[in-house]
Amino acid sequence: MVSNPFSTRFTRPGRIEQLDDAGRPVDVEGLLERLRDLGGTAAIVGPHGSGKSTLLAHLAEAIERRGGQSPRFRLRSWRDGLAAWRAICQSVAGATICIDSWECIGPATRILLRLAARLSGCGLLVTSHRGVGMPELTRCGTSASLLRAIVRSLPHYPDWHGTLICEADIDAAFANHSGNLRESLYALYDRFEAGRRRVRAVVGTGPDGHDGSDGGRHGIHEFADGFSYAGAPERNLG
Amino acid sequence: MNTAADRSQAMPRVEVQFDRPHRQHEPRDQVAVRYRIEGCDGERIRAIEHSVLWYTEGKGEEDLGVHFFQRITDRAMMPPALSTGAFSTPLPQSPLSYEGLIVKVRWCVRVRLFFDGSRDFVSEHVFVLGRIPPARLSESRA
Repeated sequence: MVSNPFSTRFTRPGRIEQLDDAGRPVDVEGLLERLRDLGGTAAIVGPHGSGKSTLLAHLAEAIERRGGQSPRFRLRSWRDGLAAWRAICQSVAGATICIDSWECIGPATRILLRLAARLSGCGLLVTSHRGVGMPELTRCGTSASLLRAIVRSLPHYPDWHGTLICEADIDAAFANHSGNLRESLYALYDRFEAGRRRVRAVVGTGPDGHDGSDGGRHGIHEFADGFSYAGAPERNLG
Repeated sequence: MNTAADRSQAMPRVEVQFDRPHRQHEPRDQVAVRYRIEGCDGERIRAIEHSVLWYTEGKGEEDLGVHFFQRITDRAMMPPALSTGAFSTPLPQSPLSYEGLIVKVRWCVRVRLFFDGSRDFVSEHVFVLGRIPPARLSESRA
């Protein structure tokens, strides 16, 4: 049984290491220092699929690791704005309210949230596609080398790279989606699935329904037994 | 997400053995698992969590349901005192494992190690519940 390494499970915000547009690890602690210097309220700015939500998730986790509070919201409508407003009003002073897709709410809701945060003594860390009248914490960008670095970090990379997914697939996904990393990863998900179907067609039964430990039996390298990763706070079950 | 310092630490390894060949289980079967923890390099473990869960895998948001959960905090039941463990639970009727084109449903057992400090480590091992054949593209679309 082979997991698709491009599925949301492995690529959602917070799961992939935060990298800059050259594919180097981002200094999350340094960004937190900068956020503090900016008074606790700032925006992460960048185009669609450039890693803003991923960075927001990493920063929120880093704040929690330091013992702080960082409730997270994704704004899609005024109702989400209302939920965020309630949370701000109930937050302790010093909390950092993390809001994804700040530009999705109207100016009145934005003013309301900023006012509530100020009165509650909370910081606001938001993501947006453009400047939103807040200090800019950082600007996210993308590059083909960043996408390649992300792909290298996915589970069991040596098992499928060069067979199901090649460097040319990665570059094509990046070019076809104009640098949108999220869309590029979705395209590679489809490419991976198509590759598996091709292998199945050639070898017959394919890997489905088999134990992951019988790698190689069907002509492709299946993942090693089990999948392991460092834990993340949102995955706590207890 | 762990820090770079955490990542530089040795990754433990959890080897899991299922009681059924090919990890194939039927609804209402008992899933029984034995595991061995290796490579902790003297790091103290403060808790171990066992879970049996299903999750969706695809391009959309991940869904997840925890069927069985157990947390062990007794030091006598974990490394270095004891490097092996076992747990079992009856499986439900559904959802069954499914290998779809757009979305997949997978079952797994998860062993999660919590080390002293903030570091933790998760090891997941997939098994199959039920016998739904994998979805296939029709020839015209393939």
